[in-house]
Amino acid sequence: MTTVALDTPKATSTPKALRKDLRYPSWFYLPAGTIYFILFLVPTVASLYFSLTRWTLFNSTFIGLENFQQFFREPFLFQSLINTVIFAVITSGAKVVLGLLLAVLLTSNIALRGFLRSVVFFPVLVSVIGVGITFTVLMHPTQGLINTSLEAIGIDGPGWLTDPRLALFSVALVDIWRGVGLATVIYMAGIVSIPQDYYEASRIDGARPIQQFFLITVPLVRPAMVTVIILSFIGGLRLFDLVWAMTRGGPGFASDVMASVIYKQYQAGFYGLSTAGNVVLFMLIACLAVPLAIFLNRREVNQ
Amino acid sequence: MNLIKRYWLTALASIVALVVFVTPFIFIILMAVKDRQQAALRDMSWPINFQLVENFLAVVQARDYMLITAYINSTILTVGSVTILVIVASMVGFVLQRHPTKWTPVVEFFVMAGLMIPPAVVPTIWLLQGIGLFKTLHGMILIEVAYNMSFAVILYRQFVATIPREMDEAAIIDGAKPLDVFFRVVFPMMWPVTVTNIVVQSVGIFNDFVNPLYYLPGRGNETVQLTLYSFQSQFNTQYNLLFMDILLVTIPPLLVFLFFNRQIVAGLSAGAIKG
Amino acid sequence: MAGLNLKNLYKSFGAVEVIKGVDLDIDHGEFVVFVGPSGCGKSTLLRMIAGLENITEGELFIGETLCNNVEPRDRGIAMVFQSYALYPHMTVYDNIGFGLKLARAPKEERDRKVREAARMLQLEPLLDRKPGQLSGGQRQRVAIGRAIVRQPEVFLFDEPLSNLDAALRVSMRQELTKLHHDLDATMIYVTHDQVEAMTMADKIVVLNGGVVQQVGAPIDLYQDPANLFVAGFIGSPKMNFIEVTAKTVGKGEVLVQSDVIGEISVPLNSDRVKTGDKLTLGIRPHALSRSDDGPFSGQVELVERLGNETVVNFTLSNGSAWMAVLDGDEPLKLGSEVRFSADVGAICLFDAAERRIR
Repeated sequence: MTTVALDTPKATSTPKALRKDLRYPSWFYLPAGTIYFILFLVPTVASLYFSLTRWTLFNSTFIGLENFQQFFREPFLFQSLINTVIFAVITSGAKVVLGLLLAVLLTSNIALRGFLRSVVFFPVLVSVIGVGITFTVLMHPTQGLINTSLEAIGIDGPGWLTDPRLALFSVALVDIWRGVGLATVIYMAGIVSIPQDYYEASRIDGARPIQQFFLITVPLVRPAMVTVIILSFIGGLRLFDLVWAMTRGGPGFASDVMASVIYKQYQAGFYGLSTAGNVVLFMLIACLAVPLAIFLNRREVNQ
Repeated sequence: MNLIKRYWLTALASIVALVVFVTPFIFIILMAVKDRQQAALRDMSWPINFQLVENFLAVVQARDYMLITAYINSTILTVGSVTILVIVASMVGFVLQRHPTKWTPVVEFFVMAGLMIPPAVVPTIWLLQGIGLFKTLHGMILIEVAYNMSFAVILYRQFVATIPREMDEAAIIDGAKPLDVFFRVVFPMMWPVTVTNIVVQSVGIFNDFVNPLYYLPGRGNETVQLTLYSFQSQFNTQYNLLFMDILLVTIPPLLVFLFFNRQIVAGLSAGAIKG
Repeated sequence: MAGLNLKNLYKSFGAVEVIKGVDLDIDHGEFVVFVGPSGCGKSTLLRMIAGLENITEGELFIGETLCNNVEPRDRGIAMVFQSYALYPHMTVYDNIGFGLKLARAPKEERDRKVREAARMLQLEPLLDRKPGQLSGGQRQRVAIGRAIVRQPEVFLFDEPLSNLDAALRVSMRQELTKLHHDLDATMIYVTHDQVEAMTMADKIVVLNGGVVQQVGAPIDLYQDPANLFVAGFIGSPKMNFIEVTAKTVGKGEVLVQSDVIGEISVPLNSDRVKTGDKLTLGIRPHALSRSDDGPFSGQVELVERLGNETVVNFTLSNGSAWMAVLDGDEPLKLGSEVRFSADVGAICLFDAAERRIR
């Protein structure tokens, strides 16, 4: 047989031969780690420095916290910060609620269930820019389909994207339309995993459908809800493409969010300021989303 | 009576959902086949002149066949980055699940960071310029790999947990070296999650607008999503052509959706059960 | 030709010691069964021999070779897993031939060996199937086939029959015994099922708490257990025990006493017992017979009448549950008092350290 004779059969105890290391070699991390390190980590760390500079890509001048001061001093920059939070809260809140309702509807015994599921989910896969352009046309104040339809039943539709007070919310509405399918799908996976026994037992105990929803579905679908909240909240904070396709942040700066400001400052050549915007967005996620995630996950453990 | 009320409620909800989610797509299709004058009305009227072929040719030929270039670029970008992603992420997912060490929490932290932290745009451009990858497809491919790594790793790690360790051990006893164990035994067994990964990531990368906007500017570098962006300003009086482009851009995800609906849903809702 | 030598083997996972100094010699061609309750370390010991677990301390020789740091593939072993671990994406043919392929064996040789193994295990009609299309018994055979083609010196089996139903288990047991004869290889077999151990083994190794309790031929372990653990573990139904005190120690015999059974005189050739020692008396259920003046009495709890024999569960006055297996049919009433006696030759005694003293 192919037994290999060792030259030195004298060792009495194994030297720390970490065989598992050989079996599951650490260098498997290397290809992924290299790409991630160079293209994601290095720029992220570098951004901490460059956000403190006036920067032309070729040389940078250290100016301390001036970029950040500007962010909080300039009303249009500060407004984008507020807008970002409003946008994230509205869209994630709506996705959490509407997604659950749609998921309950689409897991119940209804006609066209399969088709409806597809219809609700498909927008998730469609080009955001395409969706943005389509809704920009639909939301045109005088010739858009939405307002002409409203007119037909005697309602004077608002300037969805032209009214500065409305623009951000109109974009949020489209984002909900586009993203609620993902929330629905996540909820549906959660609902399907709830054993039918609970519903049958509660029905024998005399629970009505509404009570079943609040006493069984909602508590047991909690892990899915946590996923939906965190995913859509972070997605909302980072959103760029839809805003850009629909309003370019306008009218004025009314619908600017952090991500669109970062792009605008980049286009204008204010690289340091743009990078500071990146850092602010990063901090925003770190200060809002991370504690939220920890809080939600901890409650889960306690239950 | 209660039953009837509930029945009407679900029926109503279904109809509302249908109208809200389907109308925009019908609108896109109708607009795409109308002639220029009728499209300018931007209503739901039935097309008077069917201009499917004419509009299609006009969009394809616009700007020196820009759409063709864009489709080629997007295809290379999608196929290239998904291929790399599948190979490197599956390796990480495998070792991460199989061999926990004191460094595992560090790796997990980076995985979570990759999901949450918005990429630092300008420093990335600066870095890409430094290593000569700015405005190149290679650079763009690597960027997509880096940005989508976390999600792919999470999917793989979850799946590796369902493959019994005895499979690895059987292979080891059979004489397999680490690369054999992984590529000949474990990787083939991960096929279902590989399909999920391929499908989900392809759709995401094909639809990506922001990153090519930043890292792949310049004539000849357009991806499909960027054609929409530039046609938006060019065709602001030719809505039929603009919507034909939207239609063309929507078709690849639609095909993927029709064939791989189950894998997409499985992939995107992975982790819903266990946060 | 390869036997195995295990010299003072230790294994710990972090601070937890699982194998605590195992010494064992296995001759070439032996069928050795590791048996013990779950968590006793039998599987860990097998995996250490396979090379799937590091050896923390001690030496492992396979044949003449110190194998502590030898890769599994170079140890001349093959292993059959509890779950069979067949590669689901490969056909039966490829599953059996995978090891040869990795070893870059020439194609004709590989084909010949795979077909030979398939013929031996009656797998020929199944070679093109995938494992998912096989029954439990067929999968088991493929797993064995995968081991055979490597022509190992030592076969390792990790509870290979535990996923099969009872009938199949009996027939696979016989097949494995036959295979052992045909192949003339060393086999090490881990199980928690003492029937498997008793029927298949040349040599049984009883493990508990990471320590070897006794090594020996099955019948020796049954008739001559070294300690309380082995006495209780080997044999079915298990041996009955009761605590007693040595009242008087005479020459060649000891008088033991307890409130429950009164006094019994037991022959003894040991000078380790002193008057007043706490001892444990053990007696196998099969050694009990009904007798109106026997020392062992209790209340009948359950009677299983099998026709050829009758299994009686009864409780002693101190509450301990005993069993008796009586020949023929004994229609006992539930709740009635029964008395049993036993031949003094069948009585075992264990000292306070649980060692058997007779």
